[in-house]
Amino acid sequence: MTQQKRISLKEAAGLIKDGDAITFSGFTIWRRPFAMIYELIRQGRKNLHLMEVNGGTHTDMFAGAGALGIWESCWAGHELYGKLGANVSRRAQAGEMLVEDYSHVHMVCRFAAGSMGLPYYPTYASLGTDILNPAYDTLGNAGLRDGSNPKIPRHKYLHATSDFYEPSHLLHIPAARPDWCIVQAQLVGEEGTIRINGQKYSDEEAIKSAERVIVLAESVVPESALRQEPERNLIPPYFVDYIIEVPWGAHPTGVYGNYEVDGKFINDYYNRTKTQEGFDAWAQEWIYGVESHEEYLAKLGISRLESLRANPMLKYSTNVKRGSRS
Amino acid sequence: MTKLAPGEYKTIDLLAVAAAREVNDRDIVFAGTGLPMLAILLAQATQAPDAVCIYEAGTVDGRPVHLPTSVGDARCVYQSSVTSGLFDVFNQLQRGKVDLAFLGGAEIDQYGNVNTTAIGGYAPTPKLRLTGSGGNPDINALAKRTVFIMVQEKRRFKERVDYITSPGWRIPRWPSGELVHKREVYGDKFRGGVSAVITDMAVFRFDEEGIMYLDTVHPGFTPEDVLNNVSFDLNISRCRGVTEPPTQEEIDLLYHKIDPEGIFLK
Repeated sequence: MTQQKRISLKEAAGLIKDGDAITFSGFTIWRRPFAMIYELIRQGRKNLHLMEVNGGTHTDMFAGAGALGIWESCWAGHELYGKLGANVSRRAQAGEMLVEDYSHVHMVCRFAAGSMGLPYYPTYASLGTDILNPAYDTLGNAGLRDGSNPKIPRHKYLHATSDFYEPSHLLHIPAARPDWCIVQAQLVGEEGTIRINGQKYSDEEAIKSAERVIVLAESVVPESALRQEPERNLIPPYFVDYIIEVPWGAHPTGVYGNYEVDGKFINDYYNRTKTQEGFDAWAQEWIYGVESHEEYLAKLGISRLESLRANPMLKYSTNVKRGSRS
Repeated sequence: MTKLAPGEYKTIDLLAVAAAREVNDRDIVFAGTGLPMLAILLAQATQAPDAVCIYEAGTVDGRPVHLPTSVGDARCVYQSSVTSGLFDVFNQLQRGKVDLAFLGGAEIDQYGNVNTTAIGGYAPTPKLRLTGSGGNPDINALAKRTVFIMVQEKRRFKERVDYITSPGWRIPRWPSGELVHKREVYGDKFRGGVSAVITDMAVFRFDEEGIMYLDTVHPGFTPEDVLNNVSFDLNISRCRGVTEPPTQEEIDLLYHKIDPEGIFLK
């Protein structure tokens, strides 16, 4: 039996270097590996190349911390809890990070191609938009499409035609090949089998496209337990390089079957971090001034976490206040 | 059915009701966070009980007992036919399975092109960076009909949007960028496009050339009010009259069955 390497959050974050290309599990404000995201910011990582199907609160935090060199994606915001990734906007407007816009389907195509070992994936999606405007090729305009960076394709996309059946015009979207995929999963076996409950988002494509994978698990469980129902598992062990057991590791985002999105926390973050000064003060309180994930959980407090805990049958919390009348 | 008068309902109620009425029974509907969720759930509770809802994060035909607050929400999964992920549901969209989708935007132009990316210039740095495209352009490109729900303001209804995030009826053909009919760009993958724009003042539709016209004004507004809140030469000659107001039954469904917690309907 192969035991995947168990390391600490701090050690794992230390493996990721300035300038590395990274991606994450999850979707907007769901199942993001925040314990690692906080630790990367705490360790002062810079010039990261974040490529992701969509962004979320974590993208905005990286931007606020000045940790991003390049962000390739399609969206940044906080869903219901903040209409805009205000730090992403501020940094992009100031030219302090490069933003390469694709559409949602384009980004899924990028990771699908990466996961299949293909150089590109074809699609009809988002033809006739400014996403394809040759003047808006941000990485090309920055002179970064010369082939010298193995994480940056020589073209943002290519026009293509097909005559296999009806003649058609489509796009070839280049593969994403991140150095790292960092995952928050509900369950990981001791050997590394990953089980994701609920929506899989684009986890399978993100994981399989990456060169190395770090999994933060709500629970590390006996491998044999997951192998009793293999049809429910998503990823075999040989894709997984490091395992860390981090309960509540996705807070303030939610984990299906485990806990709810902490909307109040995210909304407070959004309201307080619209300026750089506001972000710096927030980050001092919740990232730099906090030593560890355990200290972060203690600061949140048991009653707050308990209100977020999922009902075991419904798979989400029925105790958290969500609206004006609940 | 008791039709309500202005003052007996809120603007957001009318938006949800007007959007819900765009759903035909058995439609396969792609919905995003917020008002689209209210619209599809209201439609399923009224004229379209067999409409199917796909949430873009990866759930198909869920039967949520609590209102989801985003498409990634665990509540979307409850009693779904299939729970998968983005690759699956967007492939279904590309395959042509989606009849209708609800979308939003910061700016729209007379051709139905929508901007959710940047205001006042994009390169080399954006003047005002917005959220970005999300799935908006993919869905707008590949669904048979789309309905936009937007705020009516002069600065948002423009002759030409600053950045075409989402393709309307006349769109750039690259690399030249000349504006041509959507049919010419999509070829045999052309399935339709923007069918209606619903704002806090009116409902708009598009003519055979793909140009926006005023279809109905909401109770309490006139076509002139609408003209004062668009910055292009809007055709009001085809206006059919007043948008059907909500009924008491629809309001009761919205506030007591669909969003009793007051998540979107405060």
